[in-house]
Amino acid sequence: MLLALSSGDQHGYAIKQEVERVTGGDIRLGPGTLYEAIQRLEEDGLIEEASPASADQQQRRSYRLTFAGRAVLRVELRRYGAVLTHARAISPGLVDPS
Amino acid sequence: MSARLWLYRLLMHAYPGPFRRRFESELESAFLAAQSEPRYARRGGGALFWADTLVDLCVSASRQRTRQVIAAIRYPRSSRNKVDTMLHDLRHAFRLVIRQPAFSAAAVLSLALGIGGSSLIYGLVDGLVLHPFPYPDPDRLVSVGVAFPRQSSELRFIETLSPAEYFDFKRMRSFGVTTAFDLGNRNVSGGDEPERLFTALLLDDPFEVIGMRATLGRGFLAEELAPNGPPVAIISHRIWQSRFAGDRQIVGRAIRIGGQAATVVGVMPPGLLLLGTDLWIPWGGDPSRMPRNVRQFTVLARLEGSGLAEANAELAAVAGRVDQEFRGQFREYEGWRLEARPWAAVVTASLRDAAFVLFGAVLFVLLIACANVGNLLLARAAAHQRDVAMRLALGAARWRVARELLTESLLLSLAGAAGGLLLAAGALAIAPQFLPQRVVSLAPDISLSGRVLAFGLALTVISAVVIGLVPVLRAWRTSPRVWLSTEGRSATGGRAVVRLRQAFIVAEVALAVALLTGAGLLARSFMRIQAVDLGFDPSNVLTMRLTLPREKYQGEAINQFFNAVLERIRALPGVERASAASQYPPMGAFETSFEVEGEEPGEARPNTLITVMTPDYFGTLGVALKGGRAFDARDTLRAPLVVSVNEAFADRYLRNEPFIGRRLRIGPPRPDRPWVEVVSVVADTRNRGATAPVAPEIFIPMEQQVMWNQVFLMVRARGDAPALLPLVRREILALDSEQPVYAINTLEGSLQSALFPQRVSLVLIGLFAAVALVLAAVGVYGVMSYGVATRTREIGIRMALGADAGAVVRLVVRQAIVVLSLGLALGLALAVSAGRALSTLLVDVTARDPATLASVSAVLAAVGLAAGYLPARRAVRVDPSAALRHD
Repeated sequence: MLLALSSGDQHGYAIKQEVERVTGGDIRLGPGTLYEAIQRLEEDGLIEEASPASADQQQRRSYRLTFAGRAVLRVELRRYGAVLTHARAISPGLVDPS
Repeated sequence: MSARLWLYRLLMHAYPGPFRRRFESELESAFLAAQSEPRYARRGGGALFWADTLVDLCVSASRQRTRQVIAAIRYPRSSRNKVDTMLHDLRHAFRLVIRQPAFSAAAVLSLALGIGGSSLIYGLVDGLVLHPFPYPDPDRLVSVGVAFPRQSSELRFIETLSPAEYFDFKRMRSFGVTTAFDLGNRNVSGGDEPERLFTALLLDDPFEVIGMRATLGRGFLAEELAPNGPPVAIISHRIWQSRFAGDRQIVGRAIRIGGQAATVVGVMPPGLLLLGTDLWIPWGGDPSRMPRNVRQFTVLARLEGSGLAEANAELAAVAGRVDQEFRGQFREYEGWRLEARPWAAVVTASLRDAAFVLFGAVLFVLLIACANVGNLLLARAAAHQRDVAMRLALGAARWRVARELLTESLLLSLAGAAGGLLLAAGALAIAPQFLPQRVVSLAPDISLSGRVLAFGLALTVISAVVIGLVPVLRAWRTSPRVWLSTEGRSATGGRAVVRLRQAFIVAEVALAVALLTGAGLLARSFMRIQAVDLGFDPSNVLTMRLTLPREKYQGEAINQFFNAVLERIRALPGVERASAASQYPPMGAFETSFEVEGEEPGEARPNTLITVMTPDYFGTLGVALKGGRAFDARDTLRAPLVVSVNEAFADRYLRNEPFIGRRLRIGPPRPDRPWVEVVSVVADTRNRGATAPVAPEIFIPMEQQVMWNQVFLMVRARGDAPALLPLVRREILALDSEQPVYAINTLEGSLQSALFPQRVSLVLIGLFAAVALVLAAVGVYGVMSYGVATRTREIGIRMALGADAGAVVRLVVRQAIVVLSLGLALGLALAVSAGRALSTLLVDVTARDPATLASVSAVLAAVGLAAGYLPARRAVRVDPSAALRHD
């Protein structure tokens, strides 16, 4: 979800669609699960509500990464990258099956 | 709005408030957007959509709720208010309880009696009837019973099947492992004193069936259970401790069983296994050589996969097949029936009725206690109504007031429960001392178990709600306007409250009547039993059983030994008479068929009890000779065979005089059976127990047979019979140091234990009825005096206007009479319909016994009127001038 917000502000449902697209439908978020996750990320200070640009957007609140959220995302991605590099080194077939 | 959205909004209430409010509109739009996703457009997509939505909702909502609870515990600040309110309510309730010690004590005591009594009885029922065994998965452990309609319609389980019949159904699909065992007693010697052990002789391994493993050593091996296997034995934990002092080297050692060596291969864990047997040995013989109609095995089986119904269907099929095949040979198979029942139910069948009657009775007591406390609270609530009205008028929320009242009732219930559970724990701890040994051995650990505790707590909560509900409802409906106005001030608590309180009293009286009736019926039936002429004198007779091992005593040596024992016993100081017999009343266990000379032996040969006895048997028991001659030294093995019959036998089978000199052939038909001559008729004894009709019985002299190696010794003492036991034992050991006695009792004791269910029900129901009567009287008194207190003004006016004392008393008492007669009528109806449950415990008395019903009514009316009269007297003493000033 953090990754989905990294390219710019999104509203809740767009986050869900982005997550489903990126994971090829492996992860599906129902409305409850989605907003629960949003609430938790918000509480942890990783995302925040973007100030509504217009009255129309009042209905659909957008969220954006906070500074901390971006930092956490960067650290996480770096960690995944390291793991992936290591995995490729020891067992190439496992990561990129040919 | 679409119906879907409406439904989703409704479902959203599963989320905690803050989350719902924060995300409501977004959840809705996400919900709506998800509907149009392509994967829901397919066939059946609607169902899939709702399934996804519901799963999502349930998962996330329960997670949210959990978070909320955790947060409330971790950060109490956020729920400070709630905790504060609760503490406040508690403090308030506590103050209310403390401020009125008499009221609170009465309420707590009532509830303690109700909850404690119920938990006690539940503990007994639970330990003895519902969960009597330590066996794993006891519900799947069944026994197979058999009924032969040609003999009796009763289904019997213990020692009722032959090995061939067992093999008929042993391989059924519904049964997993099975076992069949024959019960017997075996003398075990070596060690301090020879001992006779209750023994199960096994056809298959029983321990696998009941699901227990040896704590020491191992179970049986297949070859040990096969015919003529090696002599091995497994012993109980109890015997291991008592006889072998817990010696861990016992496994592998040989002990002597019936004079022969057998190797101990295992020790079982503590607890009751197989009807209290202490020694388990292979049956040993070749079961295929046993005739089909020698039935002495008890069968246990574990249900495999299927339920009881399937097993019984299979058993019915087996029974039908056997009927077809063997009916010609064994006529009893015609229409015979096999049925599996849970083993626990089989073993505790005799206690079940009494246990459930008691359980019902004790719940009545609890109901009465609840009604009483509810009543007291209602009276209090009426008194506080102005407080409540005032607080409501000042803006208190109704639910706050209601919560306070409910907290109070909960507090009272908890105090009552604490007292009650203490009471129950204490009573359960000492209960085994008051129960007969045979009952206690069924449930080695009766205690305040978790189940009993849970039951008690459930009762507590239920009673809290029951007693608290009514005052709460009253408070809810209180209208501040009425209660603050002048008409509210002097009102008698409102018509509805009075009605309600009267209804409570009516219910209480009705329940008390039902309990009193139950107690009365049991008492009457018990008196009938006690008054029954037993036909013999049971006082001061010591009995014990003596079984000579076949390996050691055979033929005439058996009677020689018994005679020598009797001679020595008769010589003891304090012994009046001594005799031996195969059985004694009320234990009519041994039966035989027979034919009377000159009578056509019809389709079914008649049956009679048969008792083998020494000549002094009638003298020892005090049984009168009604005609003919007593047995004496003439009647030896070589003399003509003679018998004595009881009057019931003479009346039923010999029919017409003269009875003396008639001849019988005893036993199943065989051409070489000798005729035996009736030489005397003796008075009837209650040979099937005090409550059953006298069965025909024949007596044969011990000296004229050599088979019977198992007898009861009966020793009539001049004084204290049990005191003779060590002396008697010493004499027997002097003759044979390996010979134990067992089943030691007094005749009175064995009669008493036969009446145990009746006795214990009578005592307990009597106790409950007494408590119920007191509670009901307190209730009537409470309502009446409250009525008088609130009508002081009215009474004062009446008296000022010239009403005399009699009129005032009548006014008050009339109310009591109405309540009492309603309660009485309801109670009698209840008693008669509930009385059917008692019928198994009643003897010679029906549930509608008019004398009992009348005396119960009289007692209750007297107590009730007395309780109503006291407040009436107080009303008469009202000073009119003071009453008129009364506010």
